[in-house]
Amino acid sequence: MTVEGPGAAARTAMFERRPLDGIPVVDAHAHGGPYSRFFIPDNGTAGMMRVMERVGVDVALVSSHLALELDVEGGNAETAAMVEESGGRLRGLIVANPHIDPERTLATWLDDERFVGVKLHPELHEYPVTGSRYEPVWAAAAARGFPVLVHSWAGSEYNDIPMFGTVAERHPDATILLGHSGARRSFLPDVAGLACRHPNLILETCGSYMTGSWLRYFVEQVGAEQVVFGSDFPFIDLRYAIGRALFAELPDDDLALVLGGTISRLVRRVRPDDPAFAELATGSAAIRS
Amino acid sequence: MTVDLFDVDAMVGPVATTADVAEDVSALLTRMDRLRIAETIVVHTHAWRHDVAAGNRLAVEQVDGHERLHPGWVVLPDTCGEVPPPAEFVGAAVRHGVAAFRACPVDHGYDLLGPDMAGALTELEAYGRPLLLDSDQVPWPQVDVLAGRHPRLAVVVTHTGYRTVRPMAGVLARHDNVYVDLSYLGTHQVLEWLVERFGPGRVLFGTGQPHRDPADAVARLLWSDLDDDAVAAIGAGNLRRLVTGGVPA
Repeated sequence: MTVEGPGAAARTAMFERRPLDGIPVVDAHAHGGPYSRFFIPDNGTAGMMRVMERVGVDVALVSSHLALELDVEGGNAETAAMVEESGGRLRGLIVANPHIDPERTLATWLDDERFVGVKLHPELHEYPVTGSRYEPVWAAAAARGFPVLVHSWAGSEYNDIPMFGTVAERHPDATILLGHSGARRSFLPDVAGLACRHPNLILETCGSYMTGSWLRYFVEQVGAEQVVFGSDFPFIDLRYAIGRALFAELPDDDLALVLGGTISRLVRRVRPDDPAFAELATGSAAIRS
Repeated sequence: MTVDLFDVDAMVGPVATTADVAEDVSALLTRMDRLRIAETIVVHTHAWRHDVAAGNRLAVEQVDGHERLHPGWVVLPDTCGEVPPPAEFVGAAVRHGVAAFRACPVDHGYDLLGPDMAGALTELEAYGRPLLLDSDQVPWPQVDVLAGRHPRLAVVVTHTGYRTVRPMAGVLARHDNVYVDLSYLGTHQVLEWLVERFGPGRVLFGTGQPHRDPADAVARLLWSDLDDDAVAAIGAGNLRRLVTGGVPA
């Protein structure tokens, strides 16, 4: 009798319409709450939890839409409430708005264990990722070790790929998650090259243009220790991103790192006692026996 | 359990912007096997970005002998003689068993709702096979007009994205002959929301390959919150009805 590995077992679970069991998953890029620019049904904690349970996603790192758009403090409080409501399945990312006293934001939330990192959105906030108002974030990230998830988009005036090289070089001790990895396919080889040169750049892989082939390319070029799974839900349905990851033809050890091991290792540097990540942070050993 | 999957939205052949394509039907069948997709309607990329008539011929030639594959054709106005007049074009489609059509009015530079396409759309409606439109080729207000003018034509909007539920829901409510596919029905939980609102008959399984990773749509459907009957309808049942000349739901 042939025993299928965890990756094959995960694909079988999908075909049989069962939740994943045997391969821990952390979604490193999620949001939550209502959004004005387009309609999102079931956008709250309950709707997000239902999808996570349906698929078998263990943990998601969330930042509320309110925090990203209109109200950074009220929105971060909303994120904290989502974490409470989730019963341990969600963890927060603190949104820092460069126009609204990011130092005060960090002082308010950094020691709150419901949060495990920071989220920046230079595009929405119309402020370049290389700008000086983000300096308190990079300094705190270097000093405290928490990961900073940053929206990126190849060609953008606010968060283009080369700009992250500048930041990574200035702050080699800050761990930067390159949200969407620049998103546009033609630029993904440049993104991989940049990550090879800067080990503090971690490639987060959600987005409308990502495919399993590109995910595998990232792992082959950069290594699974620098690639993390994200979905951007409830903007984009989580199931699109998990499908391409499971069928990316990654070796099981690499798949385990991408789906949960790599981000868990990063989070455990700042929250070593958080039980949500204890089981997930050991790389290939993260595959449950 | 095996969910029957019938892909309404796939292309075979080269694409200028990526090497991650199924160059031929052999490669496409390998992808289908891996994702347990039973059947696929295949448009050839030459019909999209090279020569419509030649590409349509290639679609027929390449699927010949493969029971799991069905040709899809790209439509054009006959104003320049690149394709035969509408009745002749659709007659050839009938002879070759064309299962669906695709229009690309932005890429091919014509007005889908103008007089040059009126005859072709009337013939397609009479033939009774679905017409696929990418959302970046035909905006929702045009889908609204088209579906109202041709109520027996099944209009399938593909690659809808994740920001378009507001106009999509309005058009779906007004026209029973409009469908969306799963290639990128991207908004969180919107598949379940649409099924609750309109029933399972308005969504078709489509992968959108090579533009999309075909695993996306498979995971989206199989891990949906829908019951097995709804998944079966969306996976294949709805499309089987449409490609055998069944009336729109």
